Amino acid sequence: MSSNDTLRQTISPETLKAEYISPASCEFFKTEKGFLGAEINGQKFNRVILTRALPLTFSDDYICISDVERKELGIIEHISDFSEDNQKLMNEELGHRYFSPVITEILSIKEKFGNFYFDVMLGDLKRNFTVKDISKNIRYHEKGFDLIDVDGNRYRIIDFDAIPKKSRRLLEPYLY
Amino acid sequence: MKKRKRKDSAFPEKRKNEFHPSLCAKLHEAGLDTRNLKYNVSGDMDSEQCFRDAWLFFDEKGLYIATGEEKLEKVKKNHTPVEPSYTLDSVRSIPLEDVDSLETESYLSTGRLMAVKDGEYEPLIWFSLGKLGDFGTFAKAFNSFKNTGEVEINEAPDESGTCRKCGAPCPPDRDLCPRHMKNSGTAIRLFRFFGGHIPQITAIVLVMVASSAAMVLVPQISTRSLYDNVLSNPDGLPQNELIKALGTLVLSIVGIRVLNIILTMIQQYMSATIMPKVMYDIKVKIFEAMQRLSVNFYSSKQTGSLMNRVMRDATNIYWFFTDGLPRIIIDSATIIGVLILMIKMNWKLSLFALLAAPVLVFTIILGDRMFRRMHHKVWIFHSRLGSMLSDNINGQRVIKAFAKEDDEFDRFSEMSREVRNADVKLSVTEATLFPLLEILVLLLSTAVLCYGGTMVARGDGSMTAGTLLSFIVYLEMLKEPFGFMAWVTNWWSRCADSATRVFEICDAQPEITEKENAIPLDNLRGDVEINELEFEYEPARPVIRKLSLKVKAGDMLGIVGKTGAGKTTIANLISRLYDAKEGSIKIDGTDVRDLKLADIRRNIGLVSQDIYLFIGSIADNIRYAKPDASMDEVIAAAKAAYAHDYIMKLPDAYETRIGAGGQRLSGGEKQRISIARTIIQNPGILILDEATAAMDTETERNIQNSLQKLSKGRTTIAIAHRLSTLRDADYLAVIDGGTIAEYGTFSELIEKKGEFYKQYKIQSEALKTIAIGADSAQSNNEEEEQSNEQQ
Repeated sequence: MSSNDTLRQTISPETLKAEYISPASCEFFKTEKGFLGAEINGQKFNRVILTRALPLTFSDDYICISDVERKELGIIEHISDFSEDNQKLMNEELGHRYFSPVITEILSIKEKFGNFYFDVMLGDLKRNFTVKDISKNIRYHEKGFDLIDVDGNRYRIIDFDAIPKKSRRLLEPYLY
Repeated sequence: MKKRKRKDSAFPEKRKNEFHPSLCAKLHEAGLDTRNLKYNVSGDMDSEQCFRDAWLFFDEKGLYIATGEEKLEKVKKNHTPVEPSYTLDSVRSIPLEDVDSLETESYLSTGRLMAVKDGEYEPLIWFSLGKLGDFGTFAKAFNSFKNTGEVEINEAPDESGTCRKCGAPCPPDRDLCPRHMKNSGTAIRLFRFFGGHIPQITAIVLVMVASSAAMVLVPQISTRSLYDNVLSNPDGLPQNELIKALGTLVLSIVGIRVLNIILTMIQQYMSATIMPKVMYDIKVKIFEAMQRLSVNFYSSKQTGSLMNRVMRDATNIYWFFTDGLPRIIIDSATIIGVLILMIKMNWKLSLFALLAAPVLVFTIILGDRMFRRMHHKVWIFHSRLGSMLSDNINGQRVIKAFAKEDDEFDRFSEMSREVRNADVKLSVTEATLFPLLEILVLLLSTAVLCYGGTMVARGDGSMTAGTLLSFIVYLEMLKEPFGFMAWVTNWWSRCADSATRVFEICDAQPEITEKENAIPLDNLRGDVEINELEFEYEPARPVIRKLSLKVKAGDMLGIVGKTGAGKTTIANLISRLYDAKEGSIKIDGTDVRDLKLADIRRNIGLVSQDIYLFIGSIADNIRYAKPDASMDEVIAAAKAAYAHDYIMKLPDAYETRIGAGGQRLSGGEKQRISIARTIIQNPGILILDEATAAMDTETERNIQNSLQKLSKGRTTIAIAHRLSTLRDADYLAVIDGGTIAEYGTFSELIEKKGEFYKQYKIQSEALKTIAIGADSAQSNNEEEEQSNEQQ
């Protein structure tokens, strides 16, 4: 077999498939201290870390599982392939790791010296944060986007068209 | 982490190492005694990752966590602190013996404080990323208390990111929220740059006012006098007298116009002589300040576009003062002059016209806001297209290698289309709105004409036809200044923004400073001693942990370790490009922080893996550290660095221009010039940070030999991935996770069969494989040659 053939086999979708963790070989559980654990191919891990490969566009697909030393244990292709209980545990863990408060209303945006000072509502909670240069600190996803403040905190607008008209009008000039 | 001292605060409880008395009372009610607290921190989330106020502290008995809500009234105008009120909804006490240590973990947008007991982790509380530094320090304080019984924290609490007047969040590089920021302070500082030119500035302002006054007079003559005194011929003058009067009027108008042109010329000439001088002062001031700043300032995220600050921000200021400010003066003088004349001519008609003026101003402001948004959108599209173009030009080799020209063209077309559509929309809106504005002005003029016309028609002498017409001309004259005044605030904001960024650099304090009575380092021996060194680039993410090392004068220490282990950081800390967080580095027994900075830099030669060569000739670059070096020294240094041979092959040899736009050199060639540059410096301590990584094995071996000669009699610290290059080191340190994993001589480490041995074996086997591959390739070639010969 030539080296080219070997390379083709190594990177073919079929070989990548073999790296994925199947629902049959993986069972999640929650430890007494509240950490997510997993039993993968018969091996028990008392704490695993889940990370999204495509956190903005496919948040429920291509989930990497690693141990506390960040050594990859495998990849989950689709969360939806797993049982409801497992899905719930995975979503809870991912929810914590990728926690982004959801902006439901923008009360005001003040621009001063290149910084944008936001007053927003996160449901019932009023909060203010500062974004430096919106065009560089915005991450678009399907219908909305994440705003990253000066500390690195992310605030999410799930659906831009669904927030109040006044909020849209305030933010629209900076969204290009 | 950047720390700044605050002058005053409305929130003393956030600055000092104690809670607010009201909170202490509340905690006391809940059974928590804060009187003996050792260290505390305020958080913003609870254990369920919900936003709540949280307070953590520890004393000799335990660790305590309370969550609840802090209510603060708005800060009063005089910034006096207001009494906050607290409610608690959960309180937790953990006996001190149940926690061995505290650790923080950071996630995408939050962090979590963990308690560790017998290697088992227990999550305690969440916090937002802005609190990571505070919680990291809290954990450090707790751990030091557990280990030593004392809270040994020499870090000030992180005060960045909050307004010093009201505590509201603001960017880390600012200490005021928008409510408390004022442009006036910036304006005063900006005007100080003009301090040396006060007579000229006064003259310019007077000339501008005179020029405006002259222009305001024109309608008086060209309209009012023309109609009322000449064309209507009220005194029944004969024709030749009328022509004479007309001639005088025309000459007066031409005279005023000429005077105005002369005054404008004088003003522009004077501005042209002063403004470049002021701009020179500003640019020199920024550049001077930038040279003082530490490396950390340049690598921090806020300083990505420093060049813009020198060039673009200075240019923004320049245009405001060259174009904007003169127009403000001229237009203000015009508005005042015109209004005085209008009121003097007919106060009733003036009042009538002025009543409609707010509608006009309001429309202009509204239109301006709309256009500003559209201009911003167009600007973003243009800048995105510019970035794409730059990306495309820089990546041409890759584009061609992957045959992606068509895809790139499509991408460019798509973005160009967006720019075109935005431009078209802007132009169409402008083309629609400006005539509408004209119509509004026309309506206003018509209303004034109707009202004024009835006054003229009444013939009671309250208004003449000439006065009415000049009134209409004055209204026209007011349109542009009012429009300008409506949006000049935006221009000033941009200028103030630029000025603030400029002053930010001028005011920035270098993190690496020399002590007042710094000790000179004249006769260097070369002993280097590192004690319990700790360092972190970002809070709570240590890069170097409790690292201790000793290098005797004249010895060679080899440092090895995986990528990201902290090797380069050690080199940077010895050179004092950064200061240690904790612990010390001593040269000849003196802490580097006590030594003169220039002496440290003179005595330590650093050949970094990031090579930077300046624009200039090769000879200039080699003699960078010693500008008076003779050509003999330059050639000797180049020979020692094995650079001489390839330099001599270049058409302009040592005079070859390198750096941006100059001769392109390979990585290895650049490294050799960099080594020659350090050789000519003749430092007492030599730090080689992957100095030969980009070279082929033969050149590397030659340079190694050369450096070996060079390192005789001087302390050498060599960092390398290729372990074979460190065979001659007196001792070796294997760094892992920011601390020393193994230490000893080359043979000791090989015998130990630890990490060093493992890495050495891997590298040796890889080299053997390459050698076998090369041998088999050679034998194949020989076989082929033989078969060809046989054929």
